[in-house]
Amino acid sequence: MKILLIEDDRETAEFVINGLREHGHVVDHAPNGRDGLFLAAGEAYDVMIVDRMLPGLDGLGIVKTIRGAAVKTPVLFLTAMSGIDERVAGLEAGADDYLVKPFAFSELLARLGALARRPTMTAVETVLTVGDLELDLLKRSVTRAGQRIDLQPQEFKLLEYLMRHAGRVVTRTMLLEHVWGFHFDPQTTVVETHISRLRSKIDRGFDVELLHTVRKSGYSLHGSD
Amino acid sequence: MDPTRILRTTSFRLGALYASVFGGSVIVLVAIINWIANDAMNQQLRAGIGTELAALLYRDREGGAANVAGAIEERLQARNRPTALFYLLTDPAGRKITGNLDAQARAEGWLELHQTFPAAAGTAHEPGALETRTIVARAARLTGGGTLFVGEDRGKVDEVRAAILEASAWAISAAILLAAIGGVLVSLGFLRRVDAINRTSRAIIDGRLTQRIPTRGTGDELDQLGRNLNEMLDRIQALMESVRQVSSDIAHDLRTPLSRLRQRLEAARLRATSVADYEATVEHAIADADAILNTFTALLRIAQIESGTRRAAFAPVDLSEVFRSLVETYAAVAEDRSQSLTSAIEPAVGTRGDRELLTQMIANLIENAIRHAPAGARIRVELRRGDEAAVAMIADSGPGIPPDQRGRVFERFYRLERSRTSPGSGLGLALVAAVAEIHGIKIALEDNQPGLRVVLAIPLIAGTAGAEQRPRGAPPALANYGDERGAR
Repeated sequence: MKILLIEDDRETAEFVINGLREHGHVVDHAPNGRDGLFLAAGEAYDVMIVDRMLPGLDGLGIVKTIRGAAVKTPVLFLTAMSGIDERVAGLEAGADDYLVKPFAFSELLARLGALARRPTMTAVETVLTVGDLELDLLKRSVTRAGQRIDLQPQEFKLLEYLMRHAGRVVTRTMLLEHVWGFHFDPQTTVVETHISRLRSKIDRGFDVELLHTVRKSGYSLHGSD
Repeated sequence: MDPTRILRTTSFRLGALYASVFGGSVIVLVAIINWIANDAMNQQLRAGIGTELAALLYRDREGGAANVAGAIEERLQARNRPTALFYLLTDPAGRKITGNLDAQARAEGWLELHQTFPAAAGTAHEPGALETRTIVARAARLTGGGTLFVGEDRGKVDEVRAAILEASAWAISAAILLAAIGGVLVSLGFLRRVDAINRTSRAIIDGRLTQRIPTRGTGDELDQLGRNLNEMLDRIQALMESVRQVSSDIAHDLRTPLSRLRQRLEAARLRATSVADYEATVEHAIADADAILNTFTALLRIAQIESGTRRAAFAPVDLSEVFRSLVETYAAVAEDRSQSLTSAIEPAVGTRGDRELLTQMIANLIENAIRHAPAGARIRVELRRGDEAAVAMIADSGPGIPPDQRGRVFERFYRLERSRTSPGSGLGLALVAAVAEIHGIKIALEDNQPGLRVVLAIPLIAGTAGAEQRPRGAPPALANYGDERGAR
């Protein structure tokens, strides 16, 4: 992927750039808002990472400006730890996702992966398929190899999210935010419990395991290929 | 007290304004009196002249100018005349026949003459000095063609007028002086009390925080101000105490995990011999750092909630939906811990607030029940519409909280003795309290015999209070929730 990073903090920038390059991505870095805006408007990127606080033009201003200029590139907003309200402001300005600093690199990687996939999702899909697992959004039914599987509403939501991000890693935080609407870290095993229940429903009795745990990162739903 | 300060006080300015308005009205009053008195005296003067002129003209009709001249001379020679009248009789050519006025040009009607006389005896003038007097006179044509002037000295009128003016000046000065003195006195009394408030403020600024403004108990405005300021100071002092407490708690609570982190890293430097050892250490160190960061995040979040900025984004929230979803989430978690979580949730109970924060608050309470209750415990979640508020209950059959500590568990970092060793930041209930506070939710901690029962009284959204209170024919409450659910 070709990624633009607009971040003024040298250490954070280095941490992100090195990590992304190790994973085979091409990264352009702008240390301030003006350069960032120049690159964002002039080059084609798969995804952009924009820090909230920047010298010159701040993150909100950049996102608003490029959205005003009809640049559709997905934007991941980085906010400071205190910024629970900044998340709303960032999303309202046109960012697609946000991440609170400091963050684990695996979290950043998973979210970039989820964002970059978005453009291909524009077509309205009513049936999601992974291997022999099928989820019908209209009938709200799930089958595996033609066999009907009964899911609780939250399990259905969880599976839908995993299937929409099939083949990618989704983190615990991503699941908490999108499936449960939790913007905090629960003190109990909410995600683990529900993943294990879902797994027992969709994988038990089948030869091929679809729902995988990715060590230190999260979960991934994919077939044998 | 600096005397020039009085000049800058509000009460002095008001006093001065009062004095000038008062003085102004006195001046207007005196001017009117003066004008009326003057007019009356002039009228009287002219009436006297008119009567005398009429008498002499009668003589003229009886016996002509010679008869008039005789009458004039008779009057002038008489001693102790009651009024000092002046006369002049001229022939048709304007020459003076008789009288004590100098010859005048022919005239008719009222006129004013100026004539110089030897100074009257008994006045301040030297003997032989001259004085000019103003005489008001009336002239009339005689039947023989001559002219008759009768006049009177206006000096007396002027003297009375001067006396009135002098008296007026004294009166005005006295009035302004009195008003000014009154203003200064009122101002001084007021300033003394304001000074007391200022002195106290100064003392507090200098660090003597226990100082309070003296009140007189009269209940007037200044007393009320003093009382309000004192209450404000009490509140500020309490807040400062809690801030001090929190900072020392933070320092204490973060010291422990930071020391642990440091020990772990040091031990690795001394004893680690393989890559696997180092990896394990780094793994643990990251977990320790994350725990510290979580504490910070929780603290910042509480602070942000307490600041109340989220209130601006309050919207209708379907509590029933929030509770249902959380019960579904946590029933599975409880089951994994061999606990049972049951619920009774009345549908379509709504409040106004921040869905995200309300979700976190209720999640925290349910998690508290799950985490502190042992395996086999029963957890019960209820939501129903009360008469004045939505009543929510989260109860467990765990160890509960001793009554004497129930008030303190909402403080930051407060942890019961038995849970000191279990994981947790000690901030969960502090966050619950902060969310409850901005939503106007009342929390009661009760004994569930055994266990803890948390009862929440959540303000109902307007129009969703008890159905029987809804006016007949009004649209069903919570109609808007249908849309909200549909959109989600």
